Amino acid sequence: MYVVRPVEPADVGALETLLAASTPGVHTLPRTREKIAALVERSCASFAAHVDIPSEETYLFVLEQIGEAGRAGTLAGTAAIHASAGSNGTYFAFRNDVIQQVSRDLNISHSVHALTLCSELTAYSQLSGFTLRQRDGAGLEAALLSRARLLYAVLAPHRFGDRFFVPLAGVTDDAGQSPFWDALGRKFFKMDFLDAERVIGGARNRTLIVELMPHYPVYVPLLPGPAQAAMGQIHPDGELSFELLTEEGFEADEYIDIFDGGPILQAHKHALRSFSGAMVRRVATQEQPAASLDAMVSYAVASSERNFRAIVLPCAPAESGEVLCLPTWAQQALRVAPGENVTCVRI
Amino acid sequence: MTQPKPKTQKLNHEEAMLVIRAITLDDIDPLIEMAHQVGSGMTTLKPDRAMLGERVNIAVASFAQTIPPEERDYMFVMEDTAGGRLAGVCAIKAAVGLTEPFYNYRIGTLVHHSRELDVFTRMDTLYLSNDLTGATELCSLFLMPEYRTGANGKWLSKSRFLFIAQFPHLFTEKIIAEMRGYQAEDGTSPFYEGLGRHFFKMDFNHVDGLTAIGKKSFIAELMPRQPLYVAYLPDDAQQVIGQVHRSTLPARKLLEQEGMHYEGYVDIFDAGPVLQGRVAELRAVRDSVLTVADEGQPEGECDITLVSNTKLEDFRMVLTQACAGGTRVPLSVRELQLLHCQAGDPVRTLSLNVRKNTHV
Repeated sequence: MYVVRPVEPADVGALETLLAASTPGVHTLPRTREKIAALVERSCASFAAHVDIPSEETYLFVLEQIGEAGRAGTLAGTAAIHASAGSNGTYFAFRNDVIQQVSRDLNISHSVHALTLCSELTAYSQLSGFTLRQRDGAGLEAALLSRARLLYAVLAPHRFGDRFFVPLAGVTDDAGQSPFWDALGRKFFKMDFLDAERVIGGARNRTLIVELMPHYPVYVPLLPGPAQAAMGQIHPDGELSFELLTEEGFEADEYIDIFDGGPILQAHKHALRSFSGAMVRRVATQEQPAASLDAMVSYAVASSERNFRAIVLPCAPAESGEVLCLPTWAQQALRVAPGENVTCVRI
Repeated sequence: MTQPKPKTQKLNHEEAMLVIRAITLDDIDPLIEMAHQVGSGMTTLKPDRAMLGERVNIAVASFAQTIPPEERDYMFVMEDTAGGRLAGVCAIKAAVGLTEPFYNYRIGTLVHHSRELDVFTRMDTLYLSNDLTGATELCSLFLMPEYRTGANGKWLSKSRFLFIAQFPHLFTEKIIAEMRGYQAEDGTSPFYEGLGRHFFKMDFNHVDGLTAIGKKSFIAELMPRQPLYVAYLPDDAQQVIGQVHRSTLPARKLLEQEGMHYEGYVDIFDAGPVLQGRVAELRAVRDSVLTVADEGQPEGECDITLVSNTKLEDFRMVLTQACAGGTRVPLSVRELQLLHCQAGDPVRTLSLNVRKNTHV
């Protein structure tokens, strides 16, 4: 069993081990102990901050195993959310545009696909840093980890924008080369993809992007085949995230990453199931399995903004009632008592 | 009669029978006949009676000065007076782009620089432009294959510069000439395949055909409006920007000798260069001499020289041997007849070839 909670200073060591094992270029979390510690500190400060307008806050959540003896306390994954993507700069992305070319005289009309460097995502909140120790065979905990940060946003809407987006890593070959980068970014940066990602620290909100990247639309038909094919394609390691996020209500297709052409999923919060399907219920103690397992549905349940914890478990349907019956282990994991409110959403 | 002749400073008899003159309405039929031989390479000379007839009418009105200067289209024919047939044609369009937009790509430069990363990238760009609107255009040069001997081609091309030198007030300050762009062995244009095809979705020949019937500006409207980075194009397309078709190389060199040069404007379809020049800087304007015709034989060291009369409506020109520095140009009786001149009439002369060390 698992619980998602805000990262704590004591997690730094475990995070270092967890992040060291992940694929380069696929997530944007740091790998060195020093930088991880700084991120954890920033996250702790963000959770503690009194926020009026979403700004530089970054919230980092960890997935922790509970219950089973021996593995309890192990970190199994991370997920993060930035309050405002461009808090210290402008967040750049390529927008997929369709340019209509019409000549009435020649009776010709066709559309041309173009990429335009844009900054619309700057005020969005950004999901990032999704890592799982074991992606293969991941169960409901993956869905919990991905969704818990949105439940936090449901509980604390003033900390976030009205729109959210998630950049997913694009395709690279075994040598870490990106066909999209080779056709575009390389011509302007004059360096390899991974070198560029390293010097820029995975960021998309740096001034040097607007200094170096093309100012004018990139006409897609002019790009080489492999680069076109890479547009909007996800790195295999990102498929799980993609599935979870599209189920949540995120949409691909409108934006892609300026470096590797990976998809940027985005949505207004009202289009997200965590927001539209969230229910506040009073906690009651489940004495014994009340219904048969068939009648149970999976819920992600979160406690509160101040002491945020989230779990996933099967419960009796709670749509029509006022209470959510939770077994004692779940109450302990969430650190809630009967009579207190929780927020839950079906998975 | 089409045997190649050694290059000598002597003029052969056939050339002496040739005259370049302002076109007349009587030339329409032979002109259409000639247009049948032009082939697909030239877009402004198609064997279409309505189009050519209209054009000749405009040309005649141009020489007669009955239409405004910017609407004029001065057409010249090279006539073989011995055979009574047309040997070639060329034209000067007074101003382009005034009735429908005249499009070119301008090669520009954008520098992308990041001090922080110490990256400095200089990028060539293609800007769709109408910058050459209003310029005077040299165009529609065609010489019948059997007359492509000796100095005929050179003379026909350069005759236009002597006309401009005689009547500079009729032209805008800028002269341009569009050169045919590079084509591969199989007749395809690497630039078109790398760029235009993606936007027009039709073959180059089809586009070329539409251009011929005056629809070039419609096609241009299908081009992307925003500047393009040249680096996006395939290598073979990048390499031919500003390059002429192999068969056009001599023509390009010739125009460059006369003071025209490539300044970064190219055709939007095949990226052939536009050569540009300022009227005041043309060799013909600087070096041609207004002098007086005389009857006689040249003496001393002579050059092949273009000699024209000074009459706009009945402009005529011959190629002859003339000596530099004389106050009068001795011409044969036959040449005077070809020029519709008499001894004592003013004429303008220009040596066919660039004199070396003229401005020591």
